[in-house]
Amino acid sequence: MIKSIPLFLFLIFSFKAIAQPQDSTITEQEEDFSMYDNLDYVDQGAKRFCTSKVIGLSPQKLISIGYDVQGQTDISSSSVGMLNQQTEFSNVRFSHGLRLQGNIPVLSRNNIIIQVIFNYLEQRYNYDQTLLPIPTYPFRRTILQNGIRSTGLGTTIFKPLNEKSFLLFQATGDNNGDYGWDNLPDLVNTRLSVAAIWGKKVSDRKMWGFGVSRTYRAGDLNYIPVFLLNWTAANGKWGAEMLLPARANVRRTFNSRNILLLGYELEGQTYRIDSRNAFSALPGYNNLELRRSELRVKATYEFSLSGFIWLSFQAGFRYNYSFNVDTLPNNNDFFRGFTGTQPYLFEGKLSNTFYSLVSLNLVSP
Amino acid sequence: MRTTLFAIICIFAFQVNLFSQTEADRLTGVWEPSNGKARVKIDKIGTKYFGKVVWLKEPIDPETDKPKVDKNNPDKALQNAPIKGYRLLKDFQFKEGNIWHEGTIYDPENGSTYACTIEMVDENTLEIRGYIGISAFGRTDVWKRLQIPKRD
Repeated sequence: MIKSIPLFLFLIFSFKAIAQPQDSTITEQEEDFSMYDNLDYVDQGAKRFCTSKVIGLSPQKLISIGYDVQGQTDISSSSVGMLNQQTEFSNVRFSHGLRLQGNIPVLSRNNIIIQVIFNYLEQRYNYDQTLLPIPTYPFRRTILQNGIRSTGLGTTIFKPLNEKSFLLFQATGDNNGDYGWDNLPDLVNTRLSVAAIWGKKVSDRKMWGFGVSRTYRAGDLNYIPVFLLNWTAANGKWGAEMLLPARANVRRTFNSRNILLLGYELEGQTYRIDSRNAFSALPGYNNLELRRSELRVKATYEFSLSGFIWLSFQAGFRYNYSFNVDTLPNNNDFFRGFTGTQPYLFEGKLSNTFYSLVSLNLVSP
Repeated sequence: MRTTLFAIICIFAFQVNLFSQTEADRLTGVWEPSNGKARVKIDKIGTKYFGKVVWLKEPIDPETDKPKVDKNNPDKALQNAPIKGYRLLKDFQFKEGNIWHEGTIYDPENGSTYACTIEMVDENTLEIRGYIGISAFGRTDVWKRLQIPKRD
């Protein structure tokens, strides 16, 4: 009986070795791969399209949850329009806000990619209330007490035309203002931003494109040309990601899971300030729109926490570009552009400050 | 009578199994992704299906002038493994109809492994969907079947 044990074990292990699948990642090296050099399609090859991916590009965020904090800033504004209100001034100790963003692919094939995008951005203010008497500073009080929010829903469509060229289309409807859960925004005030780009996928490491956009990034409604470039150097360590003039980044890749980005982003919207404003009874203070825009010069370090979960730390300097206020005639937005002469109701100023943003992200395959 | 019935059941079960295996084995062969950069041979090993790279359009890494290796692999031990011969597709099981599932696909361009489902659209076309977590977070690619050229 004892003599038969080794034989029994040998049989068990032999059987296991035969039954176990050969699932090692690296296969036998002695195979002659040259037999696969000249093969034909059985029927016909798939039509080839360029992809939206560029090797080495920072990963696209499917879902992002972040928190933004800005340092101390002074807000001042002077009336220049129809109203003879005095200059308002207030001190903000710091401002902060939640940032939720999503890019959910609803159709992702080699011949088209359609994504639903959503975002929720808020800015809350921590301020010195003793410097904010009522009703002397009605506009400032409204902004500071309620904060401002932006909620958007839209789509991005990437349509490759062939192996080398593509179309990129993006449209979002954003509802921005001083609203809150107890006073939801009116959908009539939704602002539409659109961009359409035609581009070339030059190689796996480079794509570029030209287009036009309808945007509120500078606060006011504007129509501007845009230029897209995503590029990675042959050594894979350096690259550029830009959609001018909205944003541009130089990328340093330490490895596929650690990335540093240096650049800027122009961030802005027009905000309806009427949900809970403290001066709606004053004549001429209806249909107010805060044209807010800021330039963020920033450094961003992103790394993989685990698999597709990435953490992002961003820090930089926030430069105020616009904090002006319009009153909309007949509640219709209008085009001022860079050369329009329509006066603002208020011209506002924010002193510049440092900021930081941390976000947890689920990134795209 | 019982013996005859048992024999019929056994034969039927064997034929069903054989048919199922044949149906499942349609996945084997050499396939080309839509970008045309590689060819992948899918084999059956044990009861599962695996696919390895057997051809690369650009087999030489321009940085090193040597055959491409899996330099983006998070496992350092595999970063010198040649891409040619690498098993990208692993552990697929035949589900039913035209679906193979519960497998994974590896992308050497970023060193990531995704859950993956394969659907055979027709005998010579696969739709391969790699995704993370749920199928919505993924991308589908079309692969076409290749064969040795017929000689007249």
